[in-house]
Amino acid sequence: MDAQAHLIAARFPYRTLAISAGALLVFILPGLGSLLIYDRAAIIHGELWRLVTGNLVHLSTSHLAYDLAAFLIVGTIIEIRGYRFFPMLCLSAATFIGIILFWVEPEMFFYAGLSGVVTAAVTYLCLQGLTEKGSWRWLCAAMLASLAFKFWVELAFGKFLLLAVSTEDFVPVPLSHLIGSVTAITLFVLMHLSASIKFTKTFI
Amino acid sequence: MKRTGISLLVVFAISIFVVALFGGCATGTTKNATSVVDYLFPDTKDPVVTPGIPVLTLPLRVGIAFVPSDGSGHSRRSSGAFASFQNGSPALTEKRKSDLMQAVADRFKKYPFVKEIEIIPSAYLKPGGSFANLEQIRTMYGVDVIALLSYDQVQFTDEGKLSLTYWTIVGAYVIPGEKNDTQTMLDAVIYDIPSRKMLFRAPGLSHINGSATLVNQSEELRADSGKGFDDAAKEMIVNLDEQLTNFKAKVKERPEEFKVVNSPGYTGGGSGGGSIDLISLLLLAGLGGCFLWMRKHT
Repeated sequence: MDAQAHLIAARFPYRTLAISAGALLVFILPGLGSLLIYDRAAIIHGELWRLVTGNLVHLSTSHLAYDLAAFLIVGTIIEIRGYRFFPMLCLSAATFIGIILFWVEPEMFFYAGLSGVVTAAVTYLCLQGLTEKGSWRWLCAAMLASLAFKFWVELAFGKFLLLAVSTEDFVPVPLSHLIGSVTAITLFVLMHLSASIKFTKTFI
Repeated sequence: MKRTGISLLVVFAISIFVVALFGGCATGTTKNATSVVDYLFPDTKDPVVTPGIPVLTLPLRVGIAFVPSDGSGHSRRSSGAFASFQNGSPALTEKRKSDLMQAVADRFKKYPFVKEIEIIPSAYLKPGGSFANLEQIRTMYGVDVIALLSYDQVQFTDEGKLSLTYWTIVGAYVIPGEKNDTQTMLDAVIYDIPSRKMLFRAPGLSHINGSATLVNQSEELRADSGKGFDDAAKEMIVNLDEQLTNFKAKVKERPEEFKVVNSPGYTGGGSGGGSIDLISLLLLAGLGGCFLWMRKHT
């Protein structure tokens, strides 16, 4: 299958910038953060948007800085390379992270951070890179292998590697990264399946 | 005809007198205040309470309440002989109190070590209720820490030179000859109820200068009062964040003064977060660098 089928025209990364600006705005306006944070009690009382918007809230400056820097790098590459469905990836990753954490972490009252979405984006970028040729493919493979190793360590030891953010503000949740990654893999597989079916139908 | 002329003269004289009365009553001071000290230590003979060592059980359950007025003249107006003409009544309404408490609650909510925030209605706090009243609230709401909010607002009204135009009667309606000065302080004091120890406090101040016509002065005073509380609340909330950060540092530095224990099953946050670690960020930066290099050389 032609890798170019999953590409759209390279463009200015305005979606990445818009999401980053949103996260920044939420951090600057604490009232907005309170309204958007994943708050288990509020979600139970019907404020379902918090399942998704909690990903935009950050609990400290360093928390925001690390997540935003990573998101800007990976989002910009995805948009410049023209990989499709980036907004859908972000939205679905944020939604699944919120829903699954709500389901499996009843003791967690609040959740915040964009890193699950960032992990989804990195996984998606690397998977897309694997379908291309040349050294970019190998770089993406190496990145994917590093990511898999990191997951193993995070899940085995229940904490993040060399986390520069103060963990007094929150308990690190490696599960959110795994959910992000699985969402990206699912989207990637679905895209390829759908493209294969279309290709077969056209050929027949 | 003669009687009509005399009547007109009398009406004119009364009008002038009324205008003079308005002018006379325009200067004054209105003070509205509640005091944490009066609420917690009503007995002036024995105001000393020896606090214990606070044991903060995480995650915290925090209550927020406005300290009640003791009803002994903390809300008062002093002015000229004709105070009855003025009706500024700039006291904090229940609605505004509720909004302010909600704003403070929202600020606490974002902290992972806070599990629940209860807004305590004013009716549950008795004037001069002291720690006995706080213990009742602790039992009723299950809160260990309480944020007691108090306020102090003073409004001064003075006549400017433009008030001379009141003699024209029309001037009283259109010329802003009254000078208003509103000074507000909101104060949040955070107490650990079991140990009776103050953990920290955060004040918010505001100063508003305004002017009004004689006729709409009370309306302007109410508006200034509201704005004063809003501005002071904004500053108090910013200070609250700062003081909370300082308090966290203080708890770490002085473990002999504050004990922190975790509730069973509490793993240290009550709040989860996803964050990119340094290794991932460096790897991503490397990937980004390679991407840029490849774009440049292909």
